[in-house]
Amino acid sequence: MSDILTITLLFVTLLVLLGAGVWVAFSLILTGALGMMLLSNAPIGPILATTLWGHSTSWALAALPMFILMGEILLRSRLSQDMFTGLSPWLRRLPGRLLHVNVFGCAIFAAVSGSSAATAATIGKMSVPELTERGYPVNMVLGTLAGSATLGLLIPPSIILIVYGVATEQSIARLFVAGILPGLMLVALFAAYVIAYALFNPSRIPQDSDDDMPFLAKLKATGRLIPVLLLITGVIGSIYIGIASPTDAAAVGVVLAVVLSWAGNSLSWAMLKDSLLGATVTSCMIAFILVGAAFLSVSMGFTGIPRHLAAWIAGMELSPYALLAALTVLFVLLGCFLDGISVVVLTTSIIMPMILEAGIDPLWFGIYLVIVVEMSQITPPVGFNLFVIQGLTGFNILRIALAALPFFLLLLLAVALITLIPGIATYLPSLMDN
Amino acid sequence: MRKLLDGIYVASGFLSALLIAGICLLVTTQVMLNLITKTGLIDTGLTIPSYADFAGYMLAASSFLALAYTLVCGGHIRVNLVLNVLPARLRLAVDVAAHVIGACVAGYAAFYMYRLTLESYEFGDMSSGIVAIPLYIPQSSLLVGLVVLTIALIDLTVQTIRLGGPIGVDQMNTE
Repeated sequence: MSDILTITLLFVTLLVLLGAGVWVAFSLILTGALGMMLLSNAPIGPILATTLWGHSTSWALAALPMFILMGEILLRSRLSQDMFTGLSPWLRRLPGRLLHVNVFGCAIFAAVSGSSAATAATIGKMSVPELTERGYPVNMVLGTLAGSATLGLLIPPSIILIVYGVATEQSIARLFVAGILPGLMLVALFAAYVIAYALFNPSRIPQDSDDDMPFLAKLKATGRLIPVLLLITGVIGSIYIGIASPTDAAAVGVVLAVVLSWAGNSLSWAMLKDSLLGATVTSCMIAFILVGAAFLSVSMGFTGIPRHLAAWIAGMELSPYALLAALTVLFVLLGCFLDGISVVVLTTSIIMPMILEAGIDPLWFGIYLVIVVEMSQITPPVGFNLFVIQGLTGFNILRIALAALPFFLLLLLAVALITLIPGIATYLPSLMDN
Repeated sequence: MRKLLDGIYVASGFLSALLIAGICLLVTTQVMLNLITKTGLIDTGLTIPSYADFAGYMLAASSFLALAYTLVCGGHIRVNLVLNVLPARLRLAVDVAAHVIGACVAGYAAFYMYRLTLESYEFGDMSSGIVAIPLYIPQSSLLVGLVVLTIALIDLTVQTIRLGGPIGVDQMNTE
């Protein structure tokens, strides 16, 4: 029984450290060290040093700063301005009209950037003033933005899938490809919700008169978006066909992003320097949490706790559905207080053996985990998208969370759908084997 | 002193940024060479020897050298939720404790990274790729990063106590 006591003690230690504002990576390292001290005789310091060294030099992890840098450069080009003018002429015909700019703008930007906070900030900066000025209902403007921005996590290239792939030694290329269909499914669900809302509340959707743009003018307005779309298709496509590893594709993507912003006259040394430093800080933050989590995983291996947990869960003979339902509740709760990357690394260090024991496909589980983490981005009190949108609009985060509630439920529906039909995530990667 | 410390953080941050640019150029060059090889103009495959290993070492160096810079930019994630609701005096105490804990862990990691690097040096460990380099070279970049991080955390602790409150990013970075 002392085992359960130790597990509880470790969990409480971790929560106290995190709550006291100790940086996530340090909290993970300390908890791991405490576990090793209590349950094994292994030398902590030398193992910490070899883990830090061994887990920071991986080739697959090099994709992380490359994709972040590509996003940072495109973010600083004229992309966000182009997004509104480029998308709005085409979306006016759909019920819900310009509200779809949030959905599709976020989806496209998600394919450029791997982060949902950056997606919310970039699209929101443009769409929130435009839409509120035209009289669209504020709740829908906030909700569609908060909800759709979570797509940044799932639609490849996804930072969080790189983190998951590196931490669980899954192929990042396969994870990216697995994210494509669920990502498109979410876009469809969000757009369908906006359409349904517009059909039931036609009076709330403003009808502006600047409707009929000639086709050529529409095409011209979209023109500047096309190179970016081609870039993204090229990057993801080359990974899918298998001619490039994610790291290769991302590095070439960075160079092409520089060329695009040069062609769009937004390239300057200052912009390049800002992008590089921004990418450096973000990837350093993530790499630090990753090595902290790697040490926690290694030390948990010494303590045997994950094995015991897995055996304990196996002993309860839950169906995989019951296990997933319980995990979903746990993750949503964790996600209320922790950021997505921390949730993912904690999962992989402690409950991965349990998942494998239950016979759940780790590739599928990665996609499931990302959608659940997406939900946590829009739940108070800690939801990064809520913070970003609060910063943009000045609305209270509870108000924004309430506006985003329908999208939270849609994400829950998406979790249910990929659980019932796992092929949504696993079909495309299964084609890659041939 | 203030200028020197900030200079160290910013310089190591810039070095990290250059390393990331370096990885990008290295990998892109290799992709170009692959394309040239595919056209069949040249018989033998063109490869930068051990380029994946070097990209990995550059990545590790970049991640660790940027630790202190990221810290002073407020880039490392911590949970502020509880801190924000504490009364001011208690908040200061907890905040200082968090900084001290951070400094201790970073210092501990730095010490054992020093031992690992020293071992690699004394045993003459080499990397396993086609181009074998002594492992202590990339390892010492991690060591430097951890030492600078420890200094930055001590620095932040002192400043938090002196100012009696959380340090804003703008107060730190005088650049």
